[in-house]
Amino acid sequence: MLAPLTSAQSSQTPVITFAPEQCCLSINQFHLAYAGKPALRDLTLDVPRHRVTAFIGPSGCGKSTLLRAINRLHDLNESVSHRGYIALEGQDIHAPQMNVTELRRRVGMVFQTPNPFPMSIYENVAFGLRLQRRLPKRKRDDIIEWALTSAALWDEVKDRLHRSAWQLSGGQQQRLVIARTLAVQPDVLLLDEPASALDPISTLKIEELIRNLKSQLTLVLVTHNMQQAARVSDYTAFLQNGELVEFGLTDQVFTNPRLQRTENYITGRMT
Amino acid sequence: MTSPRLPRVYLPLRQLQDRIATGLITAGGIGVLLAILAIGVFLAWETLPLLALGDTFALSKLSPLAWGTLKAAIAAMLFATPIALGAAIYSALFMSARLRSRLKPALELMEAVPGVVVGFIAGLVLAPWVERHLASTLLLIVWLPFSAILAGALWHLAAARLRRRLPHSWAGLWLIPWLVCMVAVALWLAPWLEHHLLGGDLRRLLDQQYGMDYATRNALIVGIAMGFAVIPSIYALAEDALADIPPTLMEGAQALGASRWQALWKVALPTAGPGIFSAVMIGAGRAVGETMIVLMASGNTALFSASPFEGLRSLSAAIAIELPEASPGGLTYHLLILAALSLFLFTFLVNTLAEVVRQRLRRRYHRLGGRP
Amino acid sequence: MKPLSEQSKRRVNWLNDGLWPWLCAACVALSLLMLAALLTLLATRGLGHFWPATLEEVTLTSGDIVIGQPVRETPLPLNAGMERLYFTGNRDINGANWRWIAVDDISAQTTPNDLIRLERTPWGDFIGRLVAVESDGQRLTGQAAWDYITTALAQPASQQGSSDLLLITADGHALRQPLSNVSHFQAPNAMSWGQKVTAWGQNVWRFLSEGPRAANTGGGVWPAIFGTVLMVILMSVIVTPFGVLAAIYLNEIAHQNRLTHLVRIGVRNLAGVPSIVYGVFGLGVFVYGIGGSIDNWFFSDELPSPTFGTGGLLWASLTLALLTLPVVIVATEEGLARIPDAQREGAVALGATRLEMLTRVVLPMATPAMLTGVILAVARAAGEVAPLMLVGVAKLAPQMPLDGEFPYLHLERKFMHLGYHLFDTAFHGEDVQAAIPLVYATALLLVLIVLVLNLTAIFLRHYLRRQRGNEC
Ligand SMILES: Nc1ncnc2c1ncn2[C@@H]1O[C@H](COP(=O)(O)OP(=O)(O)O)[C@@H](O)[C@H]1O
Ligand SMILES: [Mg+2]
Repeated sequence: MLAPLTSAQSSQTPVITFAPEQCCLSINQFHLAYAGKPALRDLTLDVPRHRVTAFIGPSGCGKSTLLRAINRLHDLNESVSHRGYIALEGQDIHAPQMNVTELRRRVGMVFQTPNPFPMSIYENVAFGLRLQRRLPKRKRDDIIEWALTSAALWDEVKDRLHRSAWQLSGGQQQRLVIARTLAVQPDVLLLDEPASALDPISTLKIEELIRNLKSQLTLVLVTHNMQQAARVSDYTAFLQNGELVEFGLTDQVFTNPRLQRTENYITGRMT
Repeated sequence: MTSPRLPRVYLPLRQLQDRIATGLITAGGIGVLLAILAIGVFLAWETLPLLALGDTFALSKLSPLAWGTLKAAIAAMLFATPIALGAAIYSALFMSARLRSRLKPALELMEAVPGVVVGFIAGLVLAPWVERHLASTLLLIVWLPFSAILAGALWHLAAARLRRRLPHSWAGLWLIPWLVCMVAVALWLAPWLEHHLLGGDLRRLLDQQYGMDYATRNALIVGIAMGFAVIPSIYALAEDALADIPPTLMEGAQALGASRWQALWKVALPTAGPGIFSAVMIGAGRAVGETMIVLMASGNTALFSASPFEGLRSLSAAIAIELPEASPGGLTYHLLILAALSLFLFTFLVNTLAEVVRQRLRRRYHRLGGRP
Repeated sequence: MKPLSEQSKRRVNWLNDGLWPWLCAACVALSLLMLAALLTLLATRGLGHFWPATLEEVTLTSGDIVIGQPVRETPLPLNAGMERLYFTGNRDINGANWRWIAVDDISAQTTPNDLIRLERTPWGDFIGRLVAVESDGQRLTGQAAWDYITTALAQPASQQGSSDLLLITADGHALRQPLSNVSHFQAPNAMSWGQKVTAWGQNVWRFLSEGPRAANTGGGVWPAIFGTVLMVILMSVIVTPFGVLAAIYLNEIAHQNRLTHLVRIGVRNLAGVPSIVYGVFGLGVFVYGIGGSIDNWFFSDELPSPTFGTGGLLWASLTLALLTLPVVIVATEEGLARIPDAQREGAVALGATRLEMLTRVVLPMATPAMLTGVILAVARAAGEVAPLMLVGVAKLAPQMPLDGEFPYLHLERKFMHLGYHLFDTAFHGEDVQAAIPLVYATALLLVLIVLVLNLTAIFLRHYLRRQRGNEC
């Protein structure tokens, strides 16, 4: 009953658009395949600057794949092929003059499971800084304190900066990873289900952190938790089977979805 | 709170470093791999001059050595395979986990004992002893399995309290003193048996009745010494194969009412069969190539004889003794390199076969839902 | 009928199901027993040799008197009682160091305190009694003589002056022995327990720190220890960077396809190729090929006597490096494969280049694995003898490969090696009987070195696994 309706509507997906100067990331006709098997199909959407944009969708729909594409992490995997266009602040990220190392500094990424390096807390945050030009220690300490404060972790770890990062709890580790990313001052922060492995209290802390951070940078949040998307994001995109189904203001997508498919997914999961 | 300003990054140098390092690692890596490849190429190249001479000549020179190698390897495998597989079965299926985690490093240490030390003990201690106590040695070979069964029978008859104190899962440890006692009993009995059943000296009997010569350093000694050296490698691989059998399989079989014996024969051995096969192959590869033990324990006489009491000379020992004296480019030199090439090819093929079989097995376990 | 068949079935079951696991258990017990027996034998014989053994003075029924150290007893043929082997020393007088004596022929057996044992440079040990010491015309006897010898031997050889010992053997043969030829003086029967322990320690130390004497029947193995260690160090200096490089290439840089897979299997299998084959390669390529060319180009005035065109330290190290390359590659690769990709992606996502990711995150995490590989390689190389026989080991190296002479490290020199020293002493020695205790000690030393290295590797690997457990 629904099938013809959906396929008929897929050519005219309800997608909110933004003026170019409001756009931080813009994805255009992006297509990606793992060893010939498509994971993203002709995706087109804009991510607004200094807002939180949530990607939701059933698992395997390509959310992580999309985030990794924005960071060009797929360069490490030879079996991935892609076409189409992703632009960061108007520059094509796949353009030859685009420096992938610099791109990855500008686009921070936080993974589903916290992955602090086996070093001290201090060294974890200093990692990205040390890659850049040498800084005087004072200056570096300032940046580290700022990054840990922004990640709401400073008060918890300021007495044990030189202890191993692996001794922190899962939630602290995830915030440490966020601090580590913030320290290199990215323009965009991509969060791939950052709270899915955490307890409820840590989850709340991360959510609050996300809300606070949007004054400084653009955030993209992947989550399978509908309430979380509703709580923290300004815009929500719903993906299915590697396709964009619906993209709009979070309130509108959750309370008044344009498409039956979206509503099914949201209500099906929420009840 | 506003962010402190981060100075401009300096990228080109970092990227240049990255390019150069990647290039160097690639060059180095490929270079190392080519150097390894060069071994085969060199050996093949140096045997080419022999082609001009025809193969009958080389065959007649090398065949006693090849026979010696084969004889030594067979002797070692006859000694090592049952012990190693028995130990593997016991430690994979019955042993307590604590003892097992200690046993594996212990046997790893056994593998590490240098060949030259084993060869010294075999050639200068074991060989003269066996020569003087041939009957005791042969008796021991029969007596030890029997004494193990005796221990089992006594254990089944023993009181439950004793059985709890000496559980079967720790038998690998507490059987050691028992075996020591049994060895002592056998050594005490052997001269008496030799005297009464064989009417005197076994060696003289062998010589007079069957015309068998006895050399101090012989295939029996090589078998025991080299068996000692290959037990750990066979054990380690076979144990891995058996221990990785998905537990559901064995439990399933026993739940269907199979005895442990049936579960072993019908389930464990067929499933782990390829792994055990590859373990034995790798053991055989080691036995064929081992040099110092054969050199020191075999007497180094190039004979065509199947008697376990006569000496032998293996390819590897011949290389070790003769190659330093052979003039480069001479006939002996090329012949010995042909010997090395055959050792190389044999072990390489055997190991590749074993590795392929092992990987198959790992995939099969994966499908059956065991550990990856 | 029925209960009987039930019962017989049970019995068969009991036999099948109850007894064969015992055979398997006995296999484990037997393996451990063999290992324990080997180690015990080496330890007792190897360490026992250094204990100052009691000397016996034996009077035979024929009236002869023999002084010596009892070694072992064996039964005589035809049940004619036992026969005992004595180490009597005095090869210059008796023509032999050993004497078999039938136990039945012994009429009296004592252990007088004044029996002494001397170690001398020509002729080996002297066993007998001290009569007097003649030093610069003075004649000392009794306690004064003993004190004089003890102080004189403690001084360096150049300051000992010229003095002679007047000695007498068991059968009354008198002997004048210059003190300068004596390296050790002992009266074991007069020693207290504490003195014996000290003497034992000194003997062990002399074994470790001195060169071989008297055709390997005395002295120590210091040059062999030194040669082994130097060769192994050189080898690890060569094998570590190349092995790690190859592993990084295979695991981090090469495309993971069929070819890489085949190469990996190939490398793994090279670990099973007999060591003698590597020796042949080393001889043909390094010694005759490269070494010969070097001689032609740089040392042509010394030809036909070869400089690099013969076995030497460099070629031996290179050969063993090639031999242990697979060990290092495999261990490092395992370490690298065990590092979760999340760590690599975390570094890359922060803007690190591949080099930075490797040097700052991946390699530090893989260090214990690399170390394990190198230690295993060193353990293997330390015990390996067969390839060395082809590429540069020597029975007795006249010069150490490392000395004060420019260029200090002489890569072309032959060197001594513990394993080969053991083989040579045990199988090609002049008086194997006398050398056997030292062979035991050498074997024990070699086994200890190899076992300690292996244990270190085992513990490292254990630590690695535990660390990995924490991380999950
Ligand atoms: N490395 C990979 N190789 C091959 N296929 C992959 C890989 N990663 C993801 N996929 C496939 O791509 C699709 C999208 O995966 P992913 O982006 O991880 O989904 P999500 O994050 O939305 O759950 C899935 O069908 C998955 O099987
Ligand atoms: Mg995902």
